[in-house]
Amino acid sequence: MRSSRAAWGAGVAVLALGLSACGGEADGSGSGGEPIAEAGAGELSGTVTFWHAYSADSPEVRTLEDSIIPAFEEEHPDVTVESVPVPYDDLHQKLVTAVAGDALPDLVRSDIIWVPELADLGVLVPLDEEMPDFQEYADQMYEGPLETNLWQGSYYGLPLDTNTRVLMYNQEALDAAGVDGPPETFADMREMASAFADDGRYLFADNGTSGWNVLPWIWSAGGDITDADVTTATGHLDSPESVAGVELLVDLYEQGAIPDLMLGAEGGTQTSDGLPAGEYATILDGPWMFPIFESQYPDFDLMTAPVPAGDGGSVSVVGGESIVLTQASENKAAAAEFLRFLLSEDVQLELAAVGQMPVLSSLAEQLPEVQPYYAPFVEQVENARPRPPTPAWPRVEEVLSREVQLALRGEKTAEQALGDAATEIDGLLAQYAG
Amino acid sequence: MTTTTTPSRPPTVAPGRAVGRRRTRGAPGSAARRRAAVAGYAFALPGFAVYALIMLYPAVQALLISLRDYAITPGAPSPWVGLENYARALEDPVLLRSFVNAGFYMVATVPAQVVIGLLLAVLLDAKLPGRTLFRVLFYLPVVTSWVVVSLLFQYLFATDRGVVNWLLVDVTGLFDGDVAWLGERWPALVAISVLGIWKGVGWSMIIFLAALTGVPRELHEAAALDGAGAMRRFRYVSLPFIRGTLSTVLILLVIGSFNVFISVLLMTGGGPLDQTQVPLTYMYRQAFTFLDFGYGSAISFLLTLVVLALAALQYGITRRKASEVDG
Repeated sequence: MRSSRAAWGAGVAVLALGLSACGGEADGSGSGGEPIAEAGAGELSGTVTFWHAYSADSPEVRTLEDSIIPAFEEEHPDVTVESVPVPYDDLHQKLVTAVAGDALPDLVRSDIIWVPELADLGVLVPLDEEMPDFQEYADQMYEGPLETNLWQGSYYGLPLDTNTRVLMYNQEALDAAGVDGPPETFADMREMASAFADDGRYLFADNGTSGWNVLPWIWSAGGDITDADVTTATGHLDSPESVAGVELLVDLYEQGAIPDLMLGAEGGTQTSDGLPAGEYATILDGPWMFPIFESQYPDFDLMTAPVPAGDGGSVSVVGGESIVLTQASENKAAAAEFLRFLLSEDVQLELAAVGQMPVLSSLAEQLPEVQPYYAPFVEQVENARPRPPTPAWPRVEEVLSREVQLALRGEKTAEQALGDAATEIDGLLAQYAG
Repeated sequence: MTTTTTPSRPPTVAPGRAVGRRRTRGAPGSAARRRAAVAGYAFALPGFAVYALIMLYPAVQALLISLRDYAITPGAPSPWVGLENYARALEDPVLLRSFVNAGFYMVATVPAQVVIGLLLAVLLDAKLPGRTLFRVLFYLPVVTSWVVVSLLFQYLFATDRGVVNWLLVDVTGLFDGDVAWLGERWPALVAISVLGIWKGVGWSMIIFLAALTGVPRELHEAAALDGAGAMRRFRYVSLPFIRGTLSTVLILLVIGSFNVFISVLLMTGGGPLDQTQVPLTYMYRQAFTFLDFGYGSAISFLLTLVVLALAALQYGITRRKASEVDG
């Protein structure tokens, strides 16, 4: 029925809000009993439940469920690993609901931006304190991804895969505009913009103004979002350098070299369609786009280049996932063993073959052999930074996204917008200080 | 909340007076009346128990959450903050905008669903060839998943290469350039309302159809003999019969329009810049994106209050009208 279906939303939400109150008095810490054993020590048994957002559209889920898990179970015959694929867009909400309902699985492959939030909720095991061989693994990781797991002095996860954004371009679209090659600097971008003004093609396109979208421009301009300790945005996000990064986007948008898609609205041509179609000459995106373009636009010759450099150099944003162990796990020993298994070189290489960029720095040189398309990402990840690790990130990002949109729409200058954003973000960060 | 499918009260001529007489006659036999009352409560109990368990209990919990700075982790402290969440809500410009947007959706969708639904019901009440097929076709959107049709409409209203823009710009030339349907506040609300109307008319049609089948044929025939045309027969024969249904449908549609959620969440996500938020999408965002369940609960209670007030107002108006006609 129409009305009852419309009321469904309210009903479910009220129900969820209500249910969240009846989780009982479970103590928030260390309910799992025995400490985590050394690698390979003792007899392991039981079930390990693993939530992840590996893509079922690409071979990721198949690799995990048909190859990696069976190999682990062969080594540990009494352990069963239960893989639960969750669409990425639903995973955060599912985790939140599970926190409230005290129903988290043993292991979660969490987006790196959620780890501080989950850690702050007290549902994650601080691995550096409870996993005896934590340091051995930490030493093998790229530093940027590793640091995203740090919250208030403890590491609550280990990187599982990493990625970053590079400039992807369509040479035919550049040719059509009379431009030789991809823009290498901010100055190149400004120079090329006029060649794309108002003819239905765009120099650069992106699908929003979140941190993932605009931080490469702010960082490359020499700006930043907060101080190193993530306590204040004033003096960083509103610095002249940060303003210059956003001004580049605003100026290009005003000249018609960036499409409305960047305003974050639904309904525009997505970058994954606009680039191969020649509508967008350049975009920023990650390594997972290669399998997607290959299957959907087999004739398209995808080219990559570093993020255009500003006064701060060519700096991109680190993405990826961490693996975290929950306090709710009743089988921490077996879960930790599967965690170790996922971080072994063999498994990391196996996942690399299906588009998951490994986190072990020792594999960097082999990567281009596994997939040639990793080469530019291996290079860019050296010059890529993580978004500031803070539980306030979802709100911080909302403020940043909104203010940059206001600047793009011309309702504020870039300077006003970032000044307002910095003031508001200061307040959000203060809630988690000390 | 609103699970009525068909009007429970069969429309009869001037029901008030008939019931009133019966009541005075039954007054002396008060023991029998008490027995009937006990039986009535006994029948109502299972339904009420289910309602209490899945609606009332969570609602009370949500009310308690709305008075706290609620931490979602079990066992974590959730300090009382009194009416702080409500005070914040009253000063939140986005929340105000979300109510205005829901109001727009109500004004855009409710009259259209009533008028179109009634029109279809009257047409399909007549003996047309293939009328069952048409009834099914118009009802089909009602039983289709909101998720599916929302995504479908998102494609129809896409800015580049969307069917709607293609019709308006390339085929008919009514517009000079593509409209960013989902990129601006009012066009997006229009698109969402079009979906709401398309998906909803089948529901009001089926309810009006059920009510119209209760109109005695003899009255129509008598009116026709007296020389009343189709319009006058509808106005003076059918309409009085379905007046009760009409007010029920109106109340349910108004409640439903303020609870619009899935279509907005999927078509615009409340964006851009929170321009198309409605109360439920905004509440969902506060609770599940920002983990601010206290504020989210406060929003849902404010929504409940607004809906209750609107329903009471409508109920009062229809009651007064009914007594004017009867009296």
